[in-house]
Parts: sequence; C-alpha cells; structure tokens
Amino acid sequence: MAETLRQPVSSIALTPANKPKTETSKISVARLLAIAGVCLTLLPIVPGLLWVLWPAFNMDVWHALVTDGQFARALISTLSSAIGSTLLSLMAASLIAIWLYPGKGWALAQRQLPIFLAFPHIAFAIGIAFLIAPSGWLARGLANLLEWSSPPQWVSIRDPYAISLTITMAIKETWFLLWIMATLLGEQAISRQITLANSLGYSRRQVWISALLPQLLPRMGWPLVAVLAYSLSVVDMAVILGPSTPPTLAVISWQWLTDPDAMTQAKGSAAALCLMILLGLLIVLARALWWWIKRLYRDPTGIRKPGRIFKTRAVSGIPVFIPGWLALAILVLWSVAGGWFFPNLWPNSLSLKSWNSADFGPMLTALWIGMATVMISLPLTLAWLEWGSRKHHGWLYAPLILPSLPIAAAQYHVLLHLNLDSTAIGVIWSHLTWTFPYMVLVLVGPYYNFDNRYLCTAQALGHSHLNACLRIKWPMLMKPILAAMSVGFAVSVAQYLPTLFSGGGRFATVTTEAVALSAGSNRRVLAVQSILQTALPLCAFMLAILLTAWYSRNRQGLK
Amino acid sequence: MKKRLLAAAVLAIAGTALTHTAIADEKWDAIEAEAKGQTVYFNAWGGSENINGYIEWASAEVKKRYDVNVELVKITDAGEVVKRIKTEKEAGRNTGGSVDMMWVNGENFRALKTNGLLFGPWAESLPSWQYVDTKKPVRKDFSETTDGLEAPWGTAQLTFIADKNTVAEPPRSAMELLEFATDNPGRVSYPKPPNFHGTTFLKQLLSELIETPALLAEPVDADSFAEVSKPLWEYLDKLHPVAWREGKAFPANNAEMHQKLADGELKLSLTFNPNEGANLVAKEQLPPSAYSFGFTKGTIGNVHFVAIPFNAKAKQGAQVFANFLLSPEAQVRKADITIWGDPSVLDAEKLTKEQQAVFNKRAPGGLSEAVLTLSEPHATWVEALEAEWLKRYGSQ
Repeated sequence: MAETLRQPVSSIALTPANKPKTETSKISVARLLAIAGVCLTLLPIVPGLLWVLWPAFNMDVWHALVTDGQFARALISTLSSAIGSTLLSLMAASLIAIWLYPGKGWALAQRQLPIFLAFPHIAFAIGIAFLIAPSGWLARGLANLLEWSSPPQWVSIRDPYAISLTITMAIKETWFLLWIMATLLGEQAISRQITLANSLGYSRRQVWISALLPQLLPRMGWPLVAVLAYSLSVVDMAVILGPSTPPTLAVISWQWLTDPDAMTQAKGSAAALCLMILLGLLIVLARALWWWIKRLYRDPTGIRKPGRIFKTRAVSGIPVFIPGWLALAILVLWSVAGGWFFPNLWPNSLSLKSWNSADFGPMLTALWIGMATVMISLPLTLAWLEWGSRKHHGWLYAPLILPSLPIAAAQYHVLLHLNLDSTAIGVIWSHLTWTFPYMVLVLVGPYYNFDNRYLCTAQALGHSHLNACLRIKWPMLMKPILAAMSVGFAVSVAQYLPTLFSGGGRFATVTTEAVALSAGSNRRVLAVQSILQTALPLCAFMLAILLTAWYSRNRQGLK
Repeated sequence: MKKRLLAAAVLAIAGTALTHTAIADEKWDAIEAEAKGQTVYFNAWGGSENINGYIEWASAEVKKRYDVNVELVKITDAGEVVKRIKTEKEAGRNTGGSVDMMWVNGENFRALKTNGLLFGPWAESLPSWQYVDTKKPVRKDFSETTDGLEAPWGTAQLTFIADKNTVAEPPRSAMELLEFATDNPGRVSYPKPPNFHGTTFLKQLLSELIETPALLAEPVDADSFAEVSKPLWEYLDKLHPVAWREGKAFPANNAEMHQKLADGELKLSLTFNPNEGANLVAKEQLPPSAYSFGFTKGTIGNVHFVAIPFNAKAKQGAQVFANFLLSPEAQVRKADITIWGDPSVLDAEKLTKEQQAVFNKRAPGGLSEAVLTLSEPHATWVEALEAEWLKRYGSQ
C-alpha cells in the first residue's frame, strides 16, 4: 500500500518531489534508535502470540470449532457486521465529504468531530442502547403518543442479524473516516486541486469523483483496514448491542480464551486465528475490487459537466452528528436522573447524587497512564517515520489489524516471564503496542507528503538532519503531530483488555470501571463513568485543536 | 483421693485446653504481626456500588486496626481470575502472585481446589471462626468440601422480584411459572447461561422437575445425564416460545433483568440476595411497589467464600482481612439492608441483642417471607447444564 501512497492517480495531481532521502554514507545512530524502539514495543509480542495461538495448530481443535453449534451463525453475523459497518461508514463519509467539502458545513462538521472521535465506543454504544432499546427514549416517546403502558416487544438491540451493531459501528467509524479525510484534505496539495479543477471548468461532483476520491481512497487504505479489523474483533460493543444466541465470533473467542478448560481455550485460540484469516481474505478481496474499479474508470473523457452552483449552509454540518448528540444527551440525563421509570420521557427528579458519590480515581489513573504512553510513543513515532524503513512499514500496523484479545494475552505472558506484570511499566508498555501504530497511522500521510525540499534546504544551509527536523520539519507538521498525540492518548484511555491483563486488574481506569459497572444495573453510575470516559480524550482533542490554532495564529500556511 | 484425682484431671484437661488456645493465640499474633504493612489485592466482582462501598469501609478498618492495606481489584468474572492464577502457576510463578485473596464459590472454587491453586487450610483457625454457624453449609461449597481452603463470607438464596402493580399473585413453583409465562407472553426470561444467575435458575427448575432429586448431590454422570435432565429441556421447550423475545435472546445478567423489570419490559426478575430488592427500591432503581418472593417448596441457596491463592504475596494480610470480614461487627454491618443486606454466616445466638436486631431488619422490596433453602447441586452439574443449554439454545 505504501507504493500507491506515492502514485498520484489523477493527472492533475500537484505532488511535490518526494523521493526518500538516501543516506548511504552512514547508518546513523538515529536509524538504529528508530528500529530499536520498534523492536522494543512490538517484537516481544511475537513469542507471546505464538504461545497463545499454539493450541490452535491442531486439527482436532479446528474440527471442534467448526462443529460447534454456535460457529456458523457467529461467523455470519461477524462477517455481516464487519463488512456492513466498514462499507456503510466509507460510503457515508464519502457522501458527507462530497456534500459538504469545501464549505461552511464542512467547517462546522470539523469543529464537532473531536467530540465524537473522543466519544469512546463503549460509551457511545451505551448511549445508543439507552436510545433505541424497547424501554429507551424512542419507545418512551411513542408510548406517550400511543398510550402504551409497557415497553413494546420490538427487537431493536441485540437483534439476531446484528443490524443495530452494524449501524452503530458504522456511525462511529464514519466520524473516524471523516476525520482521516479532513486530515488528508487539509494538505495543501489536495486543496489546491479543487481550485485548479474548478478553474478548468469541472463541477464539484466531477472534481470529487475523478480527482479527489481516487487520491483519497488509496491513502485511506490502512485506516479502512483498521476499521475493518476493529469491527471484526470488537468485543465490548458487541456485548452491548450485538446478538447473543450466538454472539459474534470475537465475543465467543473472548469467552473461550478466558475459560479455565484447556480444550475450550484452544477453541478460543482457533477462533482468534480465524478472525485474522478472515481479515486477510477481506483485504485481498477489497484490493481486487479496487483494482477492478480503477480499470473501469481509467480514461477521463475531459468533458466538463458544469453542474449547478452548490452552496451548503453551515447547518448542514449538524445532521452528521445527530445520533452522537442524542447519545451524549441521554448519558448526561441519566447521570443526573433520580427515579425514572417507563414510560416517562423525563426523570421524576434531577439530582447530582451520582456525581457527588462518583469515583474520580479511575480518571486520574487513565490520565497519567495515557500521558506517559503518549510521551514515550511520540519520539518513537517521529524517529520511525524519519529514519525507519519506509518499505517495511506495513507490519507495524499488525496490532491494529489483529484481534486485541490474543495480543493482550500474549503481552501478559511476556510480562509474566519478565516479572513485570501488575506494574505501571508493564501497563504502559502494553498500551504502546496500540498507541504507537495508531500515531504512526495518523501521522504517516502528512509526514510522507511533506515537501522534503524544505529539509534539503535546511541541510544545505548547514543544519544537521536532526536539527533540521527539530527546527523546520516537525514545527511545520505541528498540526498532524498534535492530532496524532491526541489520538494516541484516546487510544490509551480506551484500552480495556491490556489494562486488565498486564495490570493484573490493579489499575482501575475509566474504561475498566465502565465495563465492570456495565455488569451492574445502575444506569446512573454507568452514565457518570461513560461521561468521564468521554471527557478525557475529548479534553485531549480540544487541547490539540487549541494548541494548533495558537501555534499557527500568525502562519497562514500551517492553518 | 478420688476428688483429688478428679481435680487433677480437670486441671490437666483445662491446662491442655489453655495451652491449645495459647498456642493458637500465639500463632495468630504472629500472623497479625507479619501482616503489618502488607498490601492485599482482593479480587472481587465489582458490579455493585453497595458491595464496593462495603469493601471500602472494611479496608479502611483493617488499615486502621491492623495496618493492612487492602486494594479492591474489581473483576467481572471470577473465572478470569482462576485462569490468571492457573497461568501464573504454569509460568512458574510460585510466589509473589498477583492475587492475594478472591471472592469465590462453586465451580470456580472447585477449579482452584482440583488444580492445587489454593493456600491453606487456614479458614477454621481464624479467631472469628468461633462465631460461624456451622449448621449452615459453610464446610461444603456446591457439595465440594472446603477443607478450610476458603472462609465463608455470606449466604445467598435465589429470590424472585416482581412489581405489585403488575403481578398481584406471583408464581410459586416451576409449573406455576410456566402458566404465568403463558398468560403473559414475552414478559418472562432469565439471564443467559453460563451467567451465574441463569445457571442457578436452571438448577432451580431441575431440582423441582427431576425425578430423583438425590442424584443432584452426586457428581454428574455423563451417561445418564441426558435421561435425568430430560424434564428440564422439555420444560424449557415449552417456556421459550412464550418467553421474552420468544427465547431467541436472553438478558446478559440479572442486573439487566432488574432494569427491564423497572421498565416493565419483564414482569419477573431474580437475585441471589434476598435483600437486593429492598436495595434497588432504596436507590430508585425499582419502583416502591416492587417486592420479593420465593417458591413454596424452597429455592436454591448457597454460601459464598473468600480464598487465598497458593502464590499470594500477602497471605498473612489476607487472613487478617478475612478474619475481620468474618467478625460479628463486619458481618452485622454487611447484613444491614441500608449498607449491603447480604445475609450473615454467623450464628445469631452468639451475638448481642442489638446485633441480632440488624439481622431482622426488613425494608420494602426485600424478602419478608420465610423460604426454605434447597442445597446446591454438585459443582459438576454446572458445566454439564451449561454445555447442554448452549448446545440446545445457544444458536437460534
């Protein structure tokens, strides 16, 4: 995929000269450092993973898996929810971008994005469940209109076809893809193309379809794989919204892997391996599909279709986020609700009782773990992107495209042997496995598209490579770097399995707390922890935006 | 002469008794001394703020009195902790394990015991053991002998909850429950096994439907299981078509059932704590018209325990904490429905009048009738029932 990154598909691309610098003279210390950092974070997982997956290399285990009564149905709902949510989110994000970019609506949408990127999957799923469950807000509204006295017997969450799970994941991932698009569109090279193409007489729609999307989509390859991998292996959301008889494959795998029985565990390993194989097949399939689409639309005719003047108003940036705002609203309402029974639309009383008795310890724990993780990931990320190998880049994303459960189990095994389990170092290291690749993922596009002539000039003027990066390159990339840091922080905060495994359960963060509480029944306390879980990454994203704005206040080109 | 001999004998006996207690005291003093400054990582289900609040109180007390730090590690499933201890053993971690004490019973205890993952025996040498009501099944955990490897903490009994406004006359047996479900289609369900409460519900049904209930006290026999459990599956085949979502989906746990009861989506909920209904009413999670009830012929009850893993780092600290949890003061507070409402394992007659009064406290929503306690089937039934249930109803 790295090759396609540097292959301008469109004829009007204005990609700057972007050859990787060749430094044949010396294998610099920095380069070794970049590789050492990666080795330290990712390599130890390999033996751990072997240990976790070893039981799956046995035909009896596969036979037991395939003949298990739950397997076939679980496979179908896993595939349908993963493929469905990935395709839906890609379509939705593309349509929204076509509709809104460039314009005031896009700007408004971008201003709201951080809120919903920061909205953790679990909290969003809980909010959606509060909305659409048979006793949720929607049903309460209808009940008041139609004078129902008890909730309807509709099947709106945990439906057997995983429709509610698919749609909820699609909405959540649409925001993620929109944000990736926004980062890509923010680059000078691309935004200038619209002006250029418009001046050549192409309509907005034509510009998008024949110039922008063909450039954006290949570069969104890895983010899309991450979305697909996430939806294939998601456990927490699937438990809240997914089917239960049987659950999705990832949930079954999780249940089996934590079972004390050896054969059941082996089946869990096999199911985890199965998820990886599925992902591989789907990626191959998607690549083939893309190749075919590219062939189909190879020759631009050059015919200009003027199209009508298309002006969106700022308000059109709002509907994209309606589900998000509603989910957020009902979480806030539940966090301050007193008694609230069906079919009342509003709580009988409002009180701050749940907030006064809330435990803020988990928030602080998540905060320092997240900050430490990002502070270690950042130099690793920059070193890797600057001095690491561009060719051997794909395997860095392995943690993002593998189900997190076997990796977390693998990490735990490694830590156990090093006598580092249940320590802060162990937990932070286990988070690095995800924050580091995510930060690389966010930064890689802008980084490789950086016009390296700046760096050349700086070096020609006598700066060392490192100094040129420190003084010129990294400050110019401040916006994506800050974005990457906030994503890294959000990723760290959201980690459930690694925190639990590597921390021996001793590090209670907002996420472990929310999941532990979701086993209890108090919607108020659950709502409070969900809001706290949302607040942390949200503040990080806000900070990134404010810092970017402040930093670029007198530099037009950085905005 | 005779008298003198007798006196000497009495003295001798008293003397040995004294030295026995003196030795026990000395031993315990040593444990307390060693426990000073230790940190006990207590792994317990963390899904209820009442329970978490109670453990916090107990932790603060042992810190104050014995200088033992207790850190509550909130878990969602004790099975995961069993797995962790097992993994530690396989990795050769025989000391300095990550778990110092855990809340456990039933099949998880059995897994710990049969795999040699427990420290002990220690439970019956705790000073607080003297208050324990040994008539309660505190030495057997799901028909598995505890052998002093775990100390009792509280008792539990399957209890149903309903709302007076919608259910005036609750079902009082398995058969009545089926009738009730038929009359109220889509409003009855139970947590999906292998959830703890769901499996208990199955055991409750089986104990009523099985032809020879004595079989339940024995380890399950693989060959006759299909025949013996047949009435249960026939019952469920009739129940599911009239159950919530036609038995094609089930609530994940009983907490979700409480929520659905509050919403009116279900008409019955169930719990293992006879006072949970009262708690939920007090916290406005159930309407004030909610009430608890049991079956006429009794419901399944058991004891829950705390155990110390073989590789625990703070074994002494854990024993000091367990001893405190078993003390009359802690047990009475635990039984208080305004705190937690978990019934005590102590013998009420060994306590003061005021302490006994707390046990008899009642509150709206809680169980106010006497319900017979049926003993748990042998731990091996759990796995057999869960596996068969998943095979039959896990995928539809």
